[in-house]
Amino acid sequence: MSENNKRQPLLEMVGIEKSFPGVQVLKGVDFSVYPGEIHSLMGENGAGKSTLIKILTGLYPLDGGEIRINGEKVEIHSRQDAIDAGISVIYQELSLIPTLSVTENIFLAQEKVKGKIMLDRKAMRAKVAEMIETSGFSVSPDDIIETLSVAQQQTVEIMKALLNDAKLIIMDEPTASLNAAESEILFEKIHNLKAQGKSIIYISHRLEEVYAMSDRLTILRNGEVVAVVDKKDIDPVKVVEYMLGRELKSEAKELHEPIPGGAVLKVEKLSTKDLLDGVSFEAYAGQILGLGGLVGSGRTDTLKCIYGLLDYDGGSITLDGKPLPRNSGAAIRAGVGLVPEDRRSEGLVLLSDLTDNIALPNYDLNSKSFVISPKKALAKAKESVEKLLIKPGHTHIPTANLSGGNQQKVVLAKWLQRDLKVLLVDEPTVGIDIGAKAEIYDILRNIAGKGGIVIVASSDTEELLKISDRIVILVNGKVYADLKNENLTENDLILAYSGMKREGAAQ
Amino acid sequence: MKILKGKGDGKKSFFQLPLIVVALIVIMTIWKPGIFLTPSNFLSILLSICIYGIMMCGTIFPLLNGGIDLSIGSTAALSGCVTILITMAGNYTPAASLLGILAGIGVGALCGAVNGLVSSLFGIPAFIVTLASSNIVLGIAQSISNQRTITCLHSEVINWIGTGKILGIPFPVVFFVLLLVFTWWVLKYTRFGRYAYAAGGNPKATQFSGISTKKIQIATYLISGTTAALAGIVLSCFNRQAVYTQASGYDGDVLVALVVGGVSMAGGEGKITGAIFGLMILGILNNAMVLIGIDAIYQNLVKGLLVIVAVALDVYARNKNSGLKRKTLRSIFSKG
Repeated sequence: MSENNKRQPLLEMVGIEKSFPGVQVLKGVDFSVYPGEIHSLMGENGAGKSTLIKILTGLYPLDGGEIRINGEKVEIHSRQDAIDAGISVIYQELSLIPTLSVTENIFLAQEKVKGKIMLDRKAMRAKVAEMIETSGFSVSPDDIIETLSVAQQQTVEIMKALLNDAKLIIMDEPTASLNAAESEILFEKIHNLKAQGKSIIYISHRLEEVYAMSDRLTILRNGEVVAVVDKKDIDPVKVVEYMLGRELKSEAKELHEPIPGGAVLKVEKLSTKDLLDGVSFEAYAGQILGLGGLVGSGRTDTLKCIYGLLDYDGGSITLDGKPLPRNSGAAIRAGVGLVPEDRRSEGLVLLSDLTDNIALPNYDLNSKSFVISPKKALAKAKESVEKLLIKPGHTHIPTANLSGGNQQKVVLAKWLQRDLKVLLVDEPTVGIDIGAKAEIYDILRNIAGKGGIVIVASSDTEELLKISDRIVILVNGKVYADLKNENLTENDLILAYSGMKREGAAQ
Repeated sequence: MKILKGKGDGKKSFFQLPLIVVALIVIMTIWKPGIFLTPSNFLSILLSICIYGIMMCGTIFPLLNGGIDLSIGSTAALSGCVTILITMAGNYTPAASLLGILAGIGVGALCGAVNGLVSSLFGIPAFIVTLASSNIVLGIAQSISNQRTITCLHSEVINWIGTGKILGIPFPVVFFVLLLVFTWWVLKYTRFGRYAYAAGGNPKATQFSGISTKKIQIATYLISGTTAALAGIVLSCFNRQAVYTQASGYDGDVLVALVVGGVSMAGGEGKITGAIFGLMILGILNNAMVLIGIDAIYQNLVKGLLVIVAVALDVYARNKNSGLKRKTLRSIFSKG
């Protein structure tokens, strides 16, 4: 391929295999990284990227194949083995202790000592100062972590890796919580590391970064390497096709038109302090509106604003011309419901049974006074169990014991009690099996069919294409595109999420 | 994270507690024949637990909500002092006593409301807020009573509340039982009761259901303060005197009863029906230790052990049901 062939790779993973009960996740994966190379690992969720990384860092044992560092076979059974082999990971969720200083964090669990007991603070501080100096980081050794920005915290993580004399640094979605300016700074640091001869394995859903930075790409699909591409051969559209592996034709599907004279939800120039920056779109009764975008693009925040759970600084949200209340209790009474992103922590009281959970937002319907009727609540629960086929249908076991699909049905059942005008659904089917997925899609379609406005935010492009009549795509808190779901492919969506367009794509 | 997979609705502990009560009664009946199992001894046990019981009916609310109230002993003392002082200032007339009682209740409710407001608005842990307010309230009780015992023998209303009888049963006991039934009803049959459980089990999900968890939180402390006041007033009426030390240590015993009775310190779980048995175990143990002649020092020791055993069992049951690894000494001290 290039001059790389003449060199000795730093890391070689050869014929890596890994199975979990019932599934083979990695089927003989070959992967190599040269010294001073930025190598991106790409693939859809479930392609095997994180499994490969976990094997490399000693979190999972491998079933077959071998790992070589500088041509020599190594056994990596624990994180310590990985560190000894010169491999460090910068995790998505930072693993720093917020109340300690930069120096204390970097030397945590490997403190320098004088004699046998006394901490050698001076030496540790000097070492950190030296690292900051050589790498040009904008932190001080004595800064307390919680006072730093996320980007600065990442530089601390990088120094931690450097202290261990890492030759290979793995970065998993490092820009997910950074803004554009902070990302730029991080890229500079990464190039700096490259110049020092360090190798980087880079994982990101933001394609434009990947294309701009990588020396090479390895693309995984269903546990197999489908392509290794050199920088000069990168073609954005092709790469996405490799990732998806499908003939990229849009499926013919039945699109639903707005119900004439039905309700209209209008979001106009919605802005929040943190993220949203003038989001505008309309949603109509009878349709499912898909809300797409990367993590941090503003999908969830938009839904929370409509539901009255998150306050906004600018813009307006109106239902049939009337402003929606900016308080979730009142929004519920105005006919809005939200199925939140994380059903376990936000959607359900797991200790309570499905009867209590379904009743929770609906006591105003259960009785007019403050005295409630457990009998009515039970009857409603039984009705939901029958209608939505919730299993097991026992009304008195804690919802913690239900499967993901059934838990989600319980959350949906809360809103089916009410005369709903707008149903907001955030990640409707994460962690739900295929059978229950189809049932949940049917429930959503039914609600729209009965004249409801349904807005579904999802990180799953296949899901959006399958159920939406229209798709609004958010990029960095702004609406990037508002498309009819006609002739759209996953490729179009994935490119649009990173602010790119395919030639000739439907508008 | 308070995610407890597989934890039942508290029925399990509820069914075991009566067994412990029966076992204690059997043991004591055999140990102290003709002394323990008598109507008069049982009435004395009932009288001794009814003050704790009145407090417990309100203090269960902050616990269900995932909080704690350590100021109930001080609040009971202050309310008792306020009631007795106003009664005396009004020349022991029934009107003065009634006014005193209302004022006492009002003071308790106010203490509770302040606890709730401070802890929810500023996000300070209830443990710290109520520990601090306990000192403040006790200080106020000390100063208005001049650190003296205020004796009040001549008020009919006070005397009747303390020692009057309805159908042969002392009024404090009747009042406690009525309050218990009322609490059970509130928890099971009112919106507020259901919200209290939900907000304790998962505040975020409760908020996502359009409910103001802050309002619920404030209300739970208001209730706890009110029942503490009621307990303090009944206690002062029973003793026909008020003194700032009258309910010191009561907060600890009430928490013991609640925790032993299966109310989870993590919130969201527990029933007043379970807590009654916790209270009975505490009452019988206290009585038994006196009958057997165990020194007061060791009585505290026994109560302390009881709490640790009860909480350890609770945590053990949770971990077992959730499939989490139990912490063994070996796992704690082994490397990594």
